[in-house]
Amino acid sequence: MDREQGLGGGGSANSSSDFVRKLYKMLEDPSYSSVVRWGDDGGSFVVLENERFTKSILPKHFKHSNFASFVRQLNKYDFHKVRHNNEESGHSPYGSGAWEFKHPEFKANNKDSLDNIRRKAPAPRKAPQVVDEAVPTQQMDLVNSQLVATQHQLQSLQQKFDELSMHNNMLTQELIGVQKTVVNHEHVMQNVMSYLHSVDARQRRDSKVGGPFANSEENGGPSANVDPSQQQILPSDDEPASPLQHATKLLQDMNADVQLNYKNLEHISDIHNRNGAMSTPPPDGRHARAPTSAGSSSSMGYSKLHADQDQIVYPIGHTNGIDPMYSEHIHNIPYPMPSKEDIVDPRVSAPAGRKKSTQVDPGWVRSPQILLVEDDPTCRRIGSKFLYSFRCAIDSAFDGLEAVNKMNAGSKYDLVLMDIIMPNLDGVSACHLIRQFDHTPIIAMTSNIRSDDISMYFQHGMNDVLPKPFTRDGLLNMLEKHLGHLKQIPDGMEPISGNPMAQSSSGHSLKDENSPTQSPSTISNWQSPSQFSGISPTQPAPPHQYMHPMHPGYTQDQSPVQYPAPHTEMAAPQRQMQHRRQISEIGGDDIANDQKRQRMYDQTAPMGMQPMARPR
Amino acid sequence: MAARSENAESDGSPDLPDCGDAIDPTTFEQILEMDDDEEEREFSRSIVYGFFDQAEVTFTKMDAALDTSDLPTLSSLGHFLKGSSATLGLTKVKDSCEKIQHFGAMKDENGTHDVTDRQRCLQLIRDTLKKVKVEYKEAEKILKRFYHEPDMPQ
Repeated sequence: MDREQGLGGGGSANSSSDFVRKLYKMLEDPSYSSVVRWGDDGGSFVVLENERFTKSILPKHFKHSNFASFVRQLNKYDFHKVRHNNEESGHSPYGSGAWEFKHPEFKANNKDSLDNIRRKAPAPRKAPQVVDEAVPTQQMDLVNSQLVATQHQLQSLQQKFDELSMHNNMLTQELIGVQKTVVNHEHVMQNVMSYLHSVDARQRRDSKVGGPFANSEENGGPSANVDPSQQQILPSDDEPASPLQHATKLLQDMNADVQLNYKNLEHISDIHNRNGAMSTPPPDGRHARAPTSAGSSSSMGYSKLHADQDQIVYPIGHTNGIDPMYSEHIHNIPYPMPSKEDIVDPRVSAPAGRKKSTQVDPGWVRSPQILLVEDDPTCRRIGSKFLYSFRCAIDSAFDGLEAVNKMNAGSKYDLVLMDIIMPNLDGVSACHLIRQFDHTPIIAMTSNIRSDDISMYFQHGMNDVLPKPFTRDGLLNMLEKHLGHLKQIPDGMEPISGNPMAQSSSGHSLKDENSPTQSPSTISNWQSPSQFSGISPTQPAPPHQYMHPMHPGYTQDQSPVQYPAPHTEMAAPQRQMQHRRQISEIGGDDIANDQKRQRMYDQTAPMGMQPMARPR
Repeated sequence: MAARSENAESDGSPDLPDCGDAIDPTTFEQILEMDDDEEEREFSRSIVYGFFDQAEVTFTKMDAALDTSDLPTLSSLGHFLKGSSATLGLTKVKDSCEKIQHFGAMKDENGTHDVTDRQRCLQLIRDTLKKVKVEYKEAEKILKRFYHEPDMPQ
């Protein structure tokens, strides 16, 4: 029997349920007929003796002895208990204790129809399953695709936003630059005006001397008169010629307006950089020579000042400090002489230090913040480790895009080490973009160091090149060269002396044009370049003076004509970078200078400002 | 192989494997110097083993790119592996990677002249890739021995 079913039902065994087959098999056993058997018509089966069935047959075929379970199972397969309420006073033909069950497809001698008996809906076996899965899968797909679409949208929005904000920033910067140019021009105008005033005054005096006749004649129609020489001659009261007055008034009005706007804009751009910083000193203060007078009041720690200046350094603006109008300054640029002595120190000490221990402390006044942009994990880790051993704080970016985003988001660094070939955005493009809003020194790290490559790097705003594979020494040299302003001078000199450092190391660099760059370190009056070198400890105070202009509080002290001068101090630390440009800048490209200057402020502001503000 | 050169100059005097020209000692040494513990060598070990993974992955990608004759990808993969192998001082591997970079860019092995025949470039890369894998294995063996790891069964 068993065998037969096994063979015969081979095909059906797959589709019909185990339980149903067991049930059928059980009913085929004639020895059970007194306990459980097919119904008389073969269309149902009857459990005649419940107790015996439960105890002896159930365990044999269904591995349990629980009649209730058995009934539940039957229900699951849609068997129904046959009730006989309508017949013969509700008594079953098989006896009162008998349970009769039937299923339309469960019939004696019809094994094939067993396949049609399936579990009921709650846990359908096959077809329903497919449906169950299909629906959620479809839904999931739908949701997924929607999600992806949304993400794409979000991403493109984000990109657009980044782009726009970058453009916005650029525009703001440009505008500020233009405004500053205007202010400069205005100062020129003012100078011209004051000169005219003096000429005017002299003429009036002369005309008075010339004789009352002239005066009386002119009283009738003075300013409207066509004759220019007569026009100047005014009534005996000491007023300047009315065109002059008018012009002066116009100038003053304009001046105020420009100032206002330009502050606002700077504010905007500062906000944009997330380092709400001070605005640049309004250039139109009325007190000439302010730098000197203001100097004495500042009492902040020198080193602190310096440390926080790091950011200040890079903005190219410093050359702008040299007012293009004063061309004679160019010839007076004092190179910081002291540097030579210092050159020896750092150089000797640094390499020596390296040999002795793996932890080199270059003597930063604070940890330089370095951004390492490198897609290769090995290089990134080694580079980071080296930097870490030089006591630097490291942030890293996987590619140019991430670097641009980081910097655009307002992260400030003292130095950026930039791989050139990277996915998504290469180093040169990234540098180009960053240069639109930031002038942190960027060093190309690359094995492509052919001369045309290198000049391309510089063209796009890179400041130096560190050939790959870089060495620890090479890296350290690079840091010392570009972060000289963060270094302490061991013998207790003023921290500014870090500059010489930069100078010295720059000798190694690919660019040797840095000598002119040092000019910015000198102040407007060029008197004491040595102060910056830190070599002259005898004059500790003067350097402070020069920082003032950066402080918002001083803004009013600066004279319009001279305001560029203050920038030069900031430039001092900066000079190691931008060697190239400075030459041309000194040449006096007004617009370029102005743009750069304003950039410088943007950067300098955040870092330089807080520490400086403290003393006040 | 077991012989080691002592570098008297450096304070850490790391024991460098005698690696012939497979590994540039100066370059590798400066990484070893970064190890805090000269027994564990945790840092350099992790760098080196990270590089192993990176190299294996890159080789697989190169094989795939060769199958699809994807020269630009081969070039950039060559460049990629060149950077890390150079940083570790695996001179030979680096040189071969550089060649792959050039071939992939349809240049000769020095990157100075154009090569117009794509098939030739692919063939050159195929040969170089075979070679660089051998060079890599050699360096890997040396490095693993240096890090006291038993040789892989040949």
